[in-house]
Amino acid sequence: MPSNIVENATGASRAGQPLVRARGVAKAFSGNAVLHSVDLDLYPGEVVGLLGENGAGKSTLMHILSGGLVADSGTIDLAGEPVRFGNVSDGISAGISFVHQELSVVGALSVAENLYLGRFPRTPLGFVDKVLMRASSKALLERVGAGALDPAREAGSLRAGEQQLIEIAKAAGRQPRLLILDEPTSSLTPHEVESFFSYVRNAREAGTAIIFITHRLEEALGLCDRLVVLRNGAIVSERKPAETSREQLIADMTGKPAIYDYKPRAIDENAVALSLRNVSDGVHIEDISLEVRRGEVLGLFGLVGAGRTELLDVIHGVRPLKSGYLTLNKRTFSPRDPSEAVKSGVVLVPEGRKTAGILPQHSVRDNAAISSLRRFASRFFSDRSGEASRIAAFTKSLGIRMANDMQPISTLSGGNQQKVIFARALMAEPQLLLLDEPTHGVDVGAKADLYTIIAQAAERGLTVLMASSEVPEILALCDRVAVLSKGRLAGILERSEMSEDRILTLAFREH
Amino acid sequence: MNTGLVALKRLGRHREASVLLMLLVVAVYLSFASEYFLAPRNLLNVGRQASVVAIVALGQALVIIGRGIDLSVGSVIGLSAVVAAVVIRDTGLESVGLFAGLLTGLCCGIVNGLLYTRLKINPFIATLGTLSVARGIALLMTGGIPVPMGGIAEFVGAGRIAGIPVSFLLMIVLAIAVHVFSVRTVRGREIYAIGDNPKASRLAGVDLKATRLFIFAFCGLLAGLGGIILSGNLASADPNLGVGYELDVIAAVILGGTALSGGRGSIAGVVIGALLMALLNNAFVLLGISAYWQVVTKGLVIIFAVALDGLQRGGEDE
Repeated sequence: MPSNIVENATGASRAGQPLVRARGVAKAFSGNAVLHSVDLDLYPGEVVGLLGENGAGKSTLMHILSGGLVADSGTIDLAGEPVRFGNVSDGISAGISFVHQELSVVGALSVAENLYLGRFPRTPLGFVDKVLMRASSKALLERVGAGALDPAREAGSLRAGEQQLIEIAKAAGRQPRLLILDEPTSSLTPHEVESFFSYVRNAREAGTAIIFITHRLEEALGLCDRLVVLRNGAIVSERKPAETSREQLIADMTGKPAIYDYKPRAIDENAVALSLRNVSDGVHIEDISLEVRRGEVLGLFGLVGAGRTELLDVIHGVRPLKSGYLTLNKRTFSPRDPSEAVKSGVVLVPEGRKTAGILPQHSVRDNAAISSLRRFASRFFSDRSGEASRIAAFTKSLGIRMANDMQPISTLSGGNQQKVIFARALMAEPQLLLLDEPTHGVDVGAKADLYTIIAQAAERGLTVLMASSEVPEILALCDRVAVLSKGRLAGILERSEMSEDRILTLAFREH
Repeated sequence: MNTGLVALKRLGRHREASVLLMLLVVAVYLSFASEYFLAPRNLLNVGRQASVVAIVALGQALVIIGRGIDLSVGSVIGLSAVVAAVVIRDTGLESVGLFAGLLTGLCCGIVNGLLYTRLKINPFIATLGTLSVARGIALLMTGGIPVPMGGIAEFVGAGRIAGIPVSFLLMIVLAIAVHVFSVRTVRGREIYAIGDNPKASRLAGVDLKATRLFIFAFCGLLAGLGGIILSGNLASADPNLGVGYELDVIAAVILGGTALSGGRGSIAGVVIGALLMALLNNAFVLLGISAYWQVVTKGLVIIFAVALDGLQRGGEDE
């Protein structure tokens, strides 16, 4: 696609000089064009939402703007002057800060040390000026809405969301002219998101140009002045939030309409697949009782820290049960290790694809097969030929896009990696599928595919327990939802009672 | 890009290939530099010298692929040899003695595995502990004085079948068996998985504790076998047998392309690595260079091989 189809262009009509003017920016990796001649203007005091599926070229474009990559062709002007960054520090000294999606907080250092890493203030004697550092850290944290964090605390002991706020504060501390935020809200609580947004609005008032990358369309619509959609390395639309809709944006991003609509399933109320009675782990979850029916998709909703992951961990044998008991198909079920759970037909698609999901050095086939090796092995050897045909079948039914199944999984896009993790779980022929944030960080297209996969699995009689922090996801898929609040069960809503409002009200019950 | 260069690059990505290349370069050089090098007697000696390192390295390779490390193998070699020799001397029953020697190795490995999986001690520290304990027990059992060793152990360690050293033949058979085990069995493939990403493997249903216990136990067993062969070769079980052997063994594993960070490596590479180490030793003897230089060079070769690997793969940590 050499030329861009730009609809409703708004940038051109704006008065004043753009802070960043990119023209004809193109980039290819080993022959594959990732960006085709992108034109983009960014103005001071403007929040631009950058939307697009994984692999659309968002990160590549941002790395070029911030100096991490050099474009193959095209020009970038910064405040009217042509620039050519050789590396990230050139970008930083030119006033461009990039907050990456991957957290790079140094766990063993304090919050303040993290904020000033690489530019520690010094006392006249040459020692690190801790007093100054703490005081200015406090001020910085307050600006991004994390005033409650103690600058002296060890950063590794913080939640992912809090660490993300530190990353943002780090970038804010450099007083950037252009601030690039890549999925900054993915692990923030709703409360943190609000105070973070007010920081973004303040920075906008102060004249900072901001690029906000997100997969959460509601946030983009609520915060941004302009929404730019990238698809297959080209800008396909530029829209104003007031003049567009979720559906329109999804269509722009994927080239196809709406992602998924709930379809009712016939479920036998009496066929209980999994039941929990007064389950506690002694730390995070307390006295939880619920039942999951065969062929049902039960949602497990809660805010960050509500105990969703911990509850799944107990069912999967990762976390020991302190009191209470579980039954699986009417029989007592108490796995002491995930290996026992998998043997009994309980599989998990964990949260955190990179850390807990993929085997990065292994091939796609090996990644998919790891949970079912024991199920299909003969007396001595693993079933390699059977594996090949099983992965071929799942590649087709799940729509995994790859050159061949012996390529390393790390060469696939995030959405495709997640499909492989689904294939791994389904290949083990489970009775109960546990999903923990199954679409976290995957693009809209892959998300729609994963929803279809989950719904089809349930229709074939598989029982699904899905933890999610996204209400639209719960509404798109679940037959019922159990809402956790601070480790306790706040309530279970039937499909007819489910609404965003009621779910959130329950989630805040213990707060 | 022309296809020849692409093929060469692809070959370069296989660490076994680059080590094999180093092996060939040294061999070709030696065949010109020394008239004795190609003599069958010399080559077979190189094979014999490589075999004990290679056998123990087979176990060590599985440990390192599974993201562990076993520093105790040198001491386990010594202790197993001493136990075997003492039991034979005291009971007069050779089979019982050899069995006791192997069992000693297995037990040391199980202890390492339990320290790691049950007491959650980092394997580097746990095996550093057993390194000292095992050596101490060997010295206590013998009062520091070597015990004579003979019979079957001497045949395996110093004997020949059709002119080929028995230990070399045994090494080849074991290498093939461990290779098949590592790539074809469920347990073998799970070892690679836990080395690549232990957390993901556990959540996918791999029994981490059992797999880790297994690799340490297996490594201990092979170290025990190595002790018997080595003492048989010398016809004596010295309580100081195998001092510093862990370095040679780990060097062979790393030279052979196994990633110290786990998840990657091959048995073929390990055998080539062990042969390269033996060939370098042989080179110093044939060329009449001081044995002290040998120690320096061993270190340099390891650094070189691993640096090559690091440069090829690019800085992954940054």
